Amino acid sequence: MNILFVLIPLSLVLLGVSVWSLFWAIDTGQFENLDEAARGYENEEGPTNDGPSIKDRAK
Amino acid sequence: MTAATTSSAHAFWSNAAAGRARAVFAAEGIRCASCSRSIERALGGVSGVARVNVNVATSRVCVEWDPSKTQLDTILRTVAGAGFKPLPLAGEAAETAFARERRTALKRIGLAGLGMMQVMMYVFGVYVARPEAIDPAIASYLKYVGMAITTPVLVYSGAPFFVGAWHDLRRRTLGMDVPVALALCLAFVASVFNTVRGEGQTYFDSVTMFIFFLSAGRYVEMVVRQRSLSVSDAVGRSLPAQVARVKADGTTERVPIRAVVAGDTLQIPKGGVIPVDATLGSEVALVDESLVTGESRAERRAAGDALLGGSLSVGGAIRVVARRDVAGSTLASVVALLERAQGSRPQIARAADRVANGFVAATLLLALAVVAAWLVYDPSRAFPAALAVLVVTCPCALSLATPVAVAAASTKLARRGLLVTRADALERLAGVDTVVLDKTGTLTAAGRLSIVGMTMLGSLDKKQALAIAAALERSSSHPFAALFARHDQPEIAVVDLRDVDGRGVEARITLGIEPTFDLGARANVGGTRWRIGRHDFVSELAADTAAPPGDLGIYLGSENGLEALFELGEILRPEAFAAIERFRALGVEPIIASGDRGEAVDAARLALHVERASARLEPAGKLELIGELQAQGRHVLAIGDGVNDGPALAASNVSCAMGEGSAIAQAASDLLLLNDGLSVVGEAVATSRRMMQVIRQNLRWSLVYNLAAVPLAAFDLVPPWLAAIGMSASSLVVVLNARRLAAEKGAE
Repeated sequence: MNILFVLIPLSLVLLGVSVWSLFWAIDTGQFENLDEAARGYENEEGPTNDGPSIKDRAK
Repeated sequence: MTAATTSSAHAFWSNAAAGRARAVFAAEGIRCASCSRSIERALGGVSGVARVNVNVATSRVCVEWDPSKTQLDTILRTVAGAGFKPLPLAGEAAETAFARERRTALKRIGLAGLGMMQVMMYVFGVYVARPEAIDPAIASYLKYVGMAITTPVLVYSGAPFFVGAWHDLRRRTLGMDVPVALALCLAFVASVFNTVRGEGQTYFDSVTMFIFFLSAGRYVEMVVRQRSLSVSDAVGRSLPAQVARVKADGTTERVPIRAVVAGDTLQIPKGGVIPVDATLGSEVALVDESLVTGESRAERRAAGDALLGGSLSVGGAIRVVARRDVAGSTLASVVALLERAQGSRPQIARAADRVANGFVAATLLLALAVVAAWLVYDPSRAFPAALAVLVVTCPCALSLATPVAVAAASTKLARRGLLVTRADALERLAGVDTVVLDKTGTLTAAGRLSIVGMTMLGSLDKKQALAIAAALERSSSHPFAALFARHDQPEIAVVDLRDVDGRGVEARITLGIEPTFDLGARANVGGTRWRIGRHDFVSELAADTAAPPGDLGIYLGSENGLEALFELGEILRPEAFAAIERFRALGVEPIIASGDRGEAVDAARLALHVERASARLEPAGKLELIGELQAQGRHVLAIGDGVNDGPALAASNVSCAMGEGSAIAQAASDLLLLNDGLSVVGEAVATSRRMMQVIRQNLRWSLVYNLAAVPLAAFDLVPPWLAAIGMSASSLVVVLNARRLAAEKGAE
């Protein structure tokens, strides 16, 4: 069972990575305006995949 | 006003009237009745503050103060000092603040959720393994790992509860954060203690789960609140914080919206809001005036046309010239009234708040009693039972029950063009059983006329007279021409048409090949000269010297004498009948009270199938009528235009003014109809009744929930994690039940 002393710290690292990536996603506005991407094709100027949703909001 | 201007970033709207300034702003962190009381108490201590009103559901604070004694900055600082961050109500700043609040909350939920899953995985082994089957070193190790994960969850995700509880305690009040923070603290400290000690229960999984479920519940509440908080949702649109003003050299500059004065040229982007009543400077524009008219439809406007403040430019970027200062615009008046309503709290909510306030104290005492009882009976279960009691009780559901329903109902009505300007107006509207309607301008459309009577002065019959009138008016652009258009018969040929400006039309009429009627001997083939228009104009041709028999009317005559008089009168609004029907269906008796002539009122009465109508009523007479009705124990809703019917509106139980432009600002009515949709008022009665129903459901639910959950928790029948779900769910049920009101499609 001693392998647990290695595996659990490893899983804690994984936990840290997932928390970090979740925070990154929230901070860059990935969860804001969830339907904006879907409406992109109605926009005359084309889809805004690098547009305001990420850049402006991250400021 | 200087304070308001310098701090315009915070206070969205502010009126200085008779030595009073008013500001409405949002405050972050208002969750419960006790929060609103602490703000009221803190501001009560500031000299010069005349009135404070806090609305829990919308997180709005409405303050009135004497500008000579204190400044808005002092007020905002006081609110911040009490632990609530003042936020602007609209514009980019508000959106940024909202987004920041949402993101932080999401991160807290995310960390708590991930932590919860991991902790549960690790401690699960300790739970299921028989004591002799698991190596004590491994068991202890797993508990330490649980502690390592729980600590950051508690510190980061649990922070709002501790901060809230700390503010409550410092203000010597008991908010709903106090029992939660107490439970979290107790559970965590006991778990750490037992982990280090190496024996006894640990509750790391419960702690993370509490935090996760409670944060998730708060998040949903916050999103709902933010949505109703932004003025944009309530009135359909929001004023932008800044607009692009076109300078003399053609370049644009960003200026605060307050700085816009009449005559400024503004550049409005596609999809942008036209902030003030303005004139279109561009060639053409497509605007959506749904804020003011309630109808969401793009309308075409040409250069020079008037644009209403609050409409959206949906076609493209346009330039407009402001006709008024922002403060004098329709939108400003609307926003100010709405702010007033949302900043105040209805009576029924105050009652619930009082109950909720005693609630937390009772919870803490109960938890103590539970611990004491279990210590006697079975000490090992004292701790989990007390935790469950602390977490499961929810005064929040009770104090949210009313305000969320009122906010939802007002929002729904505002979208359809009916503004609720006083917080308890809907509550009173639900009890209405009689509606007193003014006729002119209310049941009838102001400025719209129709032919209500004809007097035949010659030998023609009515059909002939109408046909000739229609032929004469065929190419006229005068508004009256439209009244005759449907009687036109193309066979009647018209020559030598002459439009005498402002007086009438003259023409020769030659009959068509197949005359549909016989004009007799006078219809000579060369054509008779006819005139239609004002009395003096027509009688000049007809050589008729008799005095005009009526005042408002159009005369038709030929060289042979006067032929007909068309009497004009107001026409009923198309939706008046539907509105009356709606009132009747709801059991509200409609009564017409008008200052107009008996026949006109009678005509309206018959057309609308109304049983009671009073004509020739002076304002004092209307007042008397309403007084009589109220003496009979009736609850009266009065609908009228805000100006003439002022006294009657003021005397009624609920008043509804139909207003246009800046006149609405003066209207002291409870409800304000911004468009012609009279039937929305009937809808409002139905909505207010449903609202009361929802409020009763909410109050009942929160009482039943608490009465049922507390004993179960006290007897240790509710595991702590279920208590956390129960508490969050009880508030969510209340909030979502109220959202139902806003989502419901009203019967058209």
